[in-house]
Amino acid sequence: MSTLIIFGLLIALMLTGMPISISLGLTVLTFLFTMTQVPLESVALKLFTGIEKFEIMAIPFFILAGNFLTHGGVARRMIAFATSMIGHWYGGLGLAGVLACALFAAVSGSSPATVVAIGSILMPAMVKAGFPKRFGAGVITTSGALGILIPPSIVMVMYAVATNASVGALFMAGVLPGIALASMLGMTTFYRAWKNNYPRQPKASWAQRIKAFRDSMWGLFLIVVVMGGIYSGMFTPTEAAAMSAVYAFIVAVFVYKDLTLAEVPRVLLASANMSAMLLYIITNAVLFSFLLTHENIPQEMAAWMLDKGLGVIGFLAMVNVLLLLAGNVMEPSSIVLIMAPILFPVAVKLGIDPIHFGIMIVVNMEVGMCHPPVGLNLYVSSGITKMGITELTIAVWPWLLTMLVFLVIVTYWPPLSLWLPRALGMIP
Amino acid sequence: MMKVLDHLEEWIITFLMGGATVIIFFAVVHRYFAGVSIPVVQDWLLGINMGWAQELCIIMFVWMAKFGAAYGVRTGIHVGVDVLINRMVDSTRAKFVVFGLLAGAVFTGIVGTLGARFVWENGMHYAVFNALGMDTGALPEGPTTPDLEWPTWIVYSAVPLGSYLMCFRFLQVAWRFVRTGELPHHDHAKVKGIDEGEQSPDVNWFALDNDLHPHDTKHHRIVELRDQDRPKNNDQEGKP
Repeated sequence: MSTLIIFGLLIALMLTGMPISISLGLTVLTFLFTMTQVPLESVALKLFTGIEKFEIMAIPFFILAGNFLTHGGVARRMIAFATSMIGHWYGGLGLAGVLACALFAAVSGSSPATVVAIGSILMPAMVKAGFPKRFGAGVITTSGALGILIPPSIVMVMYAVATNASVGALFMAGVLPGIALASMLGMTTFYRAWKNNYPRQPKASWAQRIKAFRDSMWGLFLIVVVMGGIYSGMFTPTEAAAMSAVYAFIVAVFVYKDLTLAEVPRVLLASANMSAMLLYIITNAVLFSFLLTHENIPQEMAAWMLDKGLGVIGFLAMVNVLLLLAGNVMEPSSIVLIMAPILFPVAVKLGIDPIHFGIMIVVNMEVGMCHPPVGLNLYVSSGITKMGITELTIAVWPWLLTMLVFLVIVTYWPPLSLWLPRALGMIP
Repeated sequence: MMKVLDHLEEWIITFLMGGATVIIFFAVVHRYFAGVSIPVVQDWLLGINMGWAQELCIIMFVWMAKFGAAYGVRTGIHVGVDVLINRMVDSTRAKFVVFGLLAGAVFTGIVGTLGARFVWENGMHYAVFNALGMDTGALPEGPTTPDLEWPTWIVYSAVPLGSYLMCFRFLQVAWRFVRTGELPHHDHAKVKGIDEGEQSPDVNWFALDNDLHPHDTKHHRIVELRDQDRPKNNDQEGKP
């Protein structure tokens, strides 16, 4: 009964269009105040202690690092490197776009940031090279989604916060699926370019390739800092995030000199603005999951679902449909923070690995970012290409379909996500 | 007066963001260099205790989160589920928008009050009376934080301060919306000049004019504008 009241209230409040964080908080306050004896003072304390975890602090650091990188000319050099390597194949710049997105995703934790960074340089270049605008927009909008699958990833940190999973293991688990998805998107790009006979770039010589690699090396080295640092145990994920923020700052301001010192406060403010919004959702989501636990709802729901004889296959299918639907109205962080605490206990009871479950959710979120009405990537692309959302939706469908196929693979083939962290001994 | 508050708010969160990053960076660097045996330098480094860095970073980010959330109301960054209300006619949507903003004000107001009470009872009462030389009687002195040993009431006062500021921002935005029909968004400047070009890297994707935010009643959706303006046969696929 209380389950129905809580979710009914939450959904009703959310549909009025108020911020998600506020609807979460108001649901908790209303319920606690009218239906329970829980002292409201404990709520005030929770508002502070809710985000008093060092792991959560990786989020603002990764956002800051990402913003420095977006400004810092790292993307431009990665694109040049990717183009010199595979630009002469069918789909040339398109394929290079997928590779550049994958590389940038390995230093940035956010999908829309990847679309901005790669897209704002590559999409105009593709149009100039003779590609139809739709093709370029489709490739970059969807490949940009790799940002949250290839580590570091803000959504993975959110999942770790909601379920107490290990951030490091999640990051490692994202590597192989990330490479696999990038390859699949690349194949789709190649196929469409080959069918339509799109232009190819002149083949670069090895000297040019080495030069492009050396130019982009400063950016690529960040992959070593983050992944190597976490894997070797040199840094915790949060420390790695802080190091990458400082490193990105140094590269942007002093090495590539694409950002002046005077612009730094603006980048800091923009990052603080975004992080504060996400942290505010986390605070209220922590309150909400405190309420759920207090009312024993996750356990009840788990028992109910198991009672219905829901097997692993059925459950995963249901989760995917549920999350895809949620992806129509919310952005990924909110979905993960609200849904993960509810779905996670069932997954554990069914013997699904928490890390595998997390990767599956992340891939699901990627799909949600690329279709209307709320897909963040779509709107960012729309800003770059000046294409309407309707037109962009048509433009992305071949790649979106590829992602859906990949989602099925990730869902029902756990070794893809679990092999690497297991081989590295990060999970049993 | 308002400008001072706006700038102070921006200045505080910018500083907290940068400060926390620098602190963690130096804590990590310190940890590694203290392990390297360089005569004199190592002794000096070992003498510095950086154990408080993590705690300070958390405190700074919590403060940043509270004040940044208030700043976020002003910049219209808080995401919501607006798919439904954005498909309503302007006058109906306006009612929902005002309701949402007032709900935000109510929530932050309540939380601010709860937080203020909590802070008052956990040390501020004692501290104020003590400072004024009044009899503190049986008032609790309140706990301190583990590493920095700061009184927690000072640290926790981020909740009432930030929440009241946020409450004020919600009311401010609501007032402006009722009067002008405008909501804070980054996108509106672009509605006027839709020219070809790159999206600035400064774009704030959480503040775009999509269905994560209510559309206001003054501007038309940028997306619809583009769809209408665009000739049908522009750059069709297959004709490079």
